[in-house]
Amino acid sequence: MSAESDTILINNGQRRLLAILLADMVGFSRLMGSDEEGTLARMRRNQREIIEPAIAEHYGRLVNAPGDSWLAVFESPLEAVRCALVIQQAVNARNVALPRTSWIQYRIGVNLGDVIVDASEGAVYGDGVNVAARIESKAEPGGVLISGGVYEQIKNKLVCGYQSLGDEKLKNITDPVHIYRVLPDPASVARARRRHAPGVMTALLATGAAAACVAAYPAVLGHRSVADLVLSPFRGAAGPSGPQTGPAAEAHAQRSGWKQPTALAAAANGAASSRPAAVPEAGGSLPPNPPRETTVPGSVQPVAEQKRREASPPGSAAGQRGFRDCEFCPELVEIPNGKFQMGSREDAAEQPVHEVAVRRFALARVPVSVGEWRRCFEAQACGFMPAGPDNAPARGISWNDAQQYVSWLSRTSGERYRLPSEAEWEYAARGGTSSRYWWGDAMLPKMVNCRGCGEPYDTNAPLGVGSAAANPFGLFDMGGGISQWVADCWHATYQAAPSDGTPWEAPGCRDRVLRSGSWRTGADAVRPASRTGYEAAIRHPSHGFRVARSF
Amino acid sequence: LKEFVMRASLLGTGLLLLSCVVAQSQTQAPNDAELYFISPRDGQRLRGAFTVRFGLSNMGVTQAGSSWANSGHHHLLVDVAEPLHPNEPIPSGNNYQHFGGGQTETRLQLPPGRHTLQLVLGDAEHRPFEPMVISRKITIHVLPPLERRPGPRR
Repeated sequence: MSAESDTILINNGQRRLLAILLADMVGFSRLMGSDEEGTLARMRRNQREIIEPAIAEHYGRLVNAPGDSWLAVFESPLEAVRCALVIQQAVNARNVALPRTSWIQYRIGVNLGDVIVDASEGAVYGDGVNVAARIESKAEPGGVLISGGVYEQIKNKLVCGYQSLGDEKLKNITDPVHIYRVLPDPASVARARRRHAPGVMTALLATGAAAACVAAYPAVLGHRSVADLVLSPFRGAAGPSGPQTGPAAEAHAQRSGWKQPTALAAAANGAASSRPAAVPEAGGSLPPNPPRETTVPGSVQPVAEQKRREASPPGSAAGQRGFRDCEFCPELVEIPNGKFQMGSREDAAEQPVHEVAVRRFALARVPVSVGEWRRCFEAQACGFMPAGPDNAPARGISWNDAQQYVSWLSRTSGERYRLPSEAEWEYAARGGTSSRYWWGDAMLPKMVNCRGCGEPYDTNAPLGVGSAAANPFGLFDMGGGISQWVADCWHATYQAAPSDGTPWEAPGCRDRVLRSGSWRTGADAVRPASRTGYEAAIRHPSHGFRVARSF
Repeated sequence: LKEFVMRASLLGTGLLLLSCVVAQSQTQAPNDAELYFISPRDGQRLRGAFTVRFGLSNMGVTQAGSSWANSGHHHLLVDVAEPLHPNEPIPSGNNYQHFGGGQTETRLQLPPGRHTLQLVLGDAEHRPFEPMVISRKITIHVLPPLERRPGPRR
């Protein structure tokens, strides 16, 4: 890698050709006038949860954010525009639940310009910034306008519609600037319409379509590796120096001193997939447990629990010791704080690979069993009784059924039970590893209850809970057995996914996320990264769940 | 009258139990039931996302979980090579799309290349009917995205 790209954005005072993204909040004074504290809190939340992560994800740098407007610079105009679309989509999605008068919306303008970056002052100087500001002021609320220079760079790369607004004579700028409006293409509009309930459809039309416009790019490329995608801008900057190596990319990220671009790190680590990506803060190295020889049913009897603990090999993780909030409450295991790379490069639905920070939480050691579920059914809080022996996982459970169970459990135990988020589930399933399965890259017998994954196997039913091997966190059946509902709404890719481990919601959500694969699926579907979506209201005999709660 | 109501409810419970027992064996479908693709056509070449429309003759569409006679819900099998087991519920997963709400079309976006599509009607418990109501397996070709996009609309 040439020295040039190592100094991107950090060499003070040096001129650089950069994409400048300028955003301004619409009706800031009006919103502040009606609800000062609320508006400020929402603005800060947008900044923290949407804007900053999106900029980092697209290898940009937030230079200046004084209140209602902010400025970010990107080395790649393509990334800048993608980032703009992601931000608009995510911000608008938050507005849907609110009355129109309290919507927070941004105007965004993107320009390409030769500018001077002063990192110490947090400022960018140059004509290019002024032009970006003028372009931004012409955007409609929630819209993205780009200059002709940006358009020329991205027109064949980002599959969107571009509407020419012609040459604009901008205030205090000598030469006229050609402006384009970035539009989602008609196909993505149609797709967005189909995914949402009619009530929120119109509000989501533009925003959902914008997401599709961004998401379409990796999707149409199919299984082309993430590394190719995310490294391409750097390659472009480096000129003919060839593919960038992992260490160089990391070095760049470290030296530049700003938030490490997570997808880049993931791509760089891609070659060394055995390297742990998730390092729990609490534990050191986490030796995987060998598969257990005996079948221990997930019984609520303390004796059985005692046996299970004895059966666990020594030297396992701190999270191994479980606890119960009440006599009939599922046994919980403490999952430590940590960061991990979520997703994989095996399937388009698992991309982009992104870093997620997960806060310490408690997760059930095994899925909810028929015996555990019966308590809820007998209390007439669960309207449906699954068949099977007491130690079988409760299955044929819809996402809505699972909500009944967690709310009953919360009421009776006094603790706030919930479904784990999708990020929490994958983090816990990986148990500090980043390989294809938590024990390595190849399927091994007795590890998972899935089709073609070895004996014991029954085509008609999953094995009892806790029959296969426990992962480094001491969790059973995080893969195989039954598919497990998590809290999140189904999104076809991780484009614009949250990075703080919270569930990814969407208004009018119909499909929810299932994890783990099941005894009916093959080895591919039981990977920790594997995911699928299913209608929340529909029961299927291979679907169940496990509970979680925060501390 | 009270007695009559009680008897009726007993009878109802009996019927419910009976239907539960019956549900364990395969649900019957009329012999002339036919499941087919309205679109796309077999062998069609497509680009980008496309709509798949499901056609069904001589049977009705209902929600998953509903055991209304002569009706079921659609399942779309994408690139599934292994045969279905007539007595097992149709699996759930990325290659087995369920339309438990009674949907009769969907949008698909597949990576470029050759793909197969097949429809199977499932009963209340997602099991195939007897005889199996299944469409012909069709093949489609998804073309790579256009390299050059047309210029801006003026």
